[in-house]
Amino acid sequence: MNDLWNNLNGSPTIQDGGEIGVVTQGSLTEGVEMKLNPYRSVEDVKAGKFVVIDGYKNQFFSMITDLSLDATNPEILLYPPREGDQLLHSVLNGSSTYVTVALRPMLMLEQGEEIVDEPRPVKTIPSHFSKVVEAEEEDVSRVFGSEEKDDRFFNMGTPLDMDTPVCINLNRFVERSNGIFGKTGTGKSFLTRLVLCGLIKNKKAVNLIFDMHNEYGFRAMKEGGQGNSFVKGLKQLFGNQVALFSLDPESSRQRGIQPDHEVYITYDQVAVEDVIALQDELQLNPTASESAYLVYAMYKDRWLRQLLSIDGPDVEQFADDIGANKSSLSALHRKLKRLETFPFMVNSLNGADAVDTMMDYIDRGIHIVLEFGRQTGMLAYLLVANILSRRIHEQYVTKSEKFYASQNPEDQPRHLVITIEEAHKFLNPATARQTIFGTIAREMRKYYVSLLVVDQRPSGIDEEVLSQLGTKITALLNDEKDIQGVLTGVSNASGLRSVLASLDSKQQALVFGHAVPMPVVIKTRDYDEIFYKAMGDLSDEEKMEKAEAASAAIFGD
Amino acid sequence: MSLAQLDISTEYIGEIVESSTSQFTSESRELNGAPPFGSFVKTLGALPVYGLVFNVCTHSIEPNRRATAYGLTEQELREEQPQIFELLKTEFEAVIIGYGDDRGPQQVLPPQPPGIHSFVCPCTESEIKALTNSGDFLRSILCGNRLPADDLIIASVRNAWAARALDMPYLVGIGKDLCRLIRDDYDRLSSIMRRISQ
Repeated sequence: MNDLWNNLNGSPTIQDGGEIGVVTQGSLTEGVEMKLNPYRSVEDVKAGKFVVIDGYKNQFFSMITDLSLDATNPEILLYPPREGDQLLHSVLNGSSTYVTVALRPMLMLEQGEEIVDEPRPVKTIPSHFSKVVEAEEEDVSRVFGSEEKDDRFFNMGTPLDMDTPVCINLNRFVERSNGIFGKTGTGKSFLTRLVLCGLIKNKKAVNLIFDMHNEYGFRAMKEGGQGNSFVKGLKQLFGNQVALFSLDPESSRQRGIQPDHEVYITYDQVAVEDVIALQDELQLNPTASESAYLVYAMYKDRWLRQLLSIDGPDVEQFADDIGANKSSLSALHRKLKRLETFPFMVNSLNGADAVDTMMDYIDRGIHIVLEFGRQTGMLAYLLVANILSRRIHEQYVTKSEKFYASQNPEDQPRHLVITIEEAHKFLNPATARQTIFGTIAREMRKYYVSLLVVDQRPSGIDEEVLSQLGTKITALLNDEKDIQGVLTGVSNASGLRSVLASLDSKQQALVFGHAVPMPVVIKTRDYDEIFYKAMGDLSDEEKMEKAEAASAAIFGD
Repeated sequence: MSLAQLDISTEYIGEIVESSTSQFTSESRELNGAPPFGSFVKTLGALPVYGLVFNVCTHSIEPNRRATAYGLTEQELREEQPQIFELLKTEFEAVIIGYGDDRGPQQVLPPQPPGIHSFVCPCTESEIKALTNSGDFLRSILCGNRLPADDLIIASVRNAWAARALDMPYLVGIGKDLCRLIRDDYDRLSSIMRRISQ
């Protein structure tokens, strides 16, 4: 008997042609509402699910944003059917008590139409009683493209409860700055590694990654893993296409990694802007920048070296000499002294300048991972990322202007994507307007440099920057302010809000923005042997076979 | 049409003595032999008319006389006063819920009321199924005059359900139709459904 009742309440055995429900009401601005098919269990319908509304002329690709239980008669709610009265329960289900599902149409296609380039926004709504069906495999590839079609598509994962890959359009992805967000422990690093792999494999842009926690270059820990709990880094997957730079070569060597280059920074390479960016970390007064500029006016590039070379008591005299406020300058001096503790800060370089080497690699299309080793403090990260990015950006501006002048395709700079973690430290409202990252985020592709912002606290990022991010990939966020922050610049954000808050804490992400035709919740692709293989990585046996074949080709059998 | 042609002469259970477009009254072939309350019946003829029994009564054949109490059991009465049973008759009334044409049973009122003296017999299982495949027959019951609507619904739905070998999804479907027809009267619905499934 129990089976019988199960069959009546949400059984897959009842043939309904995949119909989840019918559209009952709605509006273009608020989204449409669907009455759930009484033979479907509400518990099988999840927020974020990808469904298709079969209109008369158009198909509306939609996302489930909300679910609600309704009753036509309040008396039912006061005197619910007795426990065990399954018959009455089944009779009421779908007639007097029913489930309303809020849908947000995201994309509209004429029946049979393919997306050619630009997706068409939704300009109308489906008619009354249009059937709502679950998206099928072909619908997903019709909307999101597939890797077989084109190398601009990169498989990021699958929609909820489905097996067809959802692809992002990498060409569109690199056109803008992008963001990857999520609470700590929700898989931000995995998402980032996935995106970077896509960019490297399909050769869409050169990457410069400021790897604060040493998790992109060489192997990284896998959370919650058992036994083999390390995953491969970019260097292992892509070999010579990736160069490893290290700020802390000793730490790299201890982890068994030989960095390709060691990075040192001279005091002369630090500009006043770089110090202003550290305002929060160093707790600088607003007047500090004025004092720094006064020193700069006198000593130009040598300003920091000059300032730090003065001993405590002489600072006041120095302030008098250059006409600066004594207490302000001595505070600045005191605080900047901290920079001298960093082992990577040197007075003069022994070898080549790190930025020149990096530019050389970038010009050759080789991706750079800069490991911070044990220098995981925010101050070091901010300082180094700012100095290097500013100088690379300067060179890019020169290169782009040269290209604009010559219009020679050979002069066209390679597209550069800079990945920064803890982005709210660089892009908070107080400093975003002054630091180089604020400039890059706003300038976008004009100078062929864009950002990949990785952060767990998007509400700390300047709104202007957030609204300019092209594609956002977001794992679970709980804080209301963070959710609001991520959805800045998104029209009709209310539906996405509930979807975002109901994501699983692992391996689920909401992708929306420039690189996908419509927002979609994905179960992210597994970062495992199959993925390594797809990225062109060979297993140990295959490597041996390949080496043997190569040696046979050279030396004969 | 003669009884011999119909070849079901032995199965008839009543004969129409009063007829209108919406209801008919039949005299039972045997005393106390009326079809059960809520059962589906039909008239015999070229255009069979389908009805639902909603009232059964047994009384004296003389309109102005009433039966008298004897203080004996039926068995004793039959032995001592057998003639009194000849002076009684059983009648049953049915509400018309459809008629049959060459396409089968139709759930609309017949163009003409059934003829007086037409014979009445129980519906077959397939006819019951055809008449009750949707909840429209419930509407006929709810709209009829002076019908014991709730009890008639309970009895007729139990018959329709039995004709489908107690198929649960059917009962749920009928319940949903009923819910709509009684305009979400939750108390009434729960009472009816509870009594149907008892």
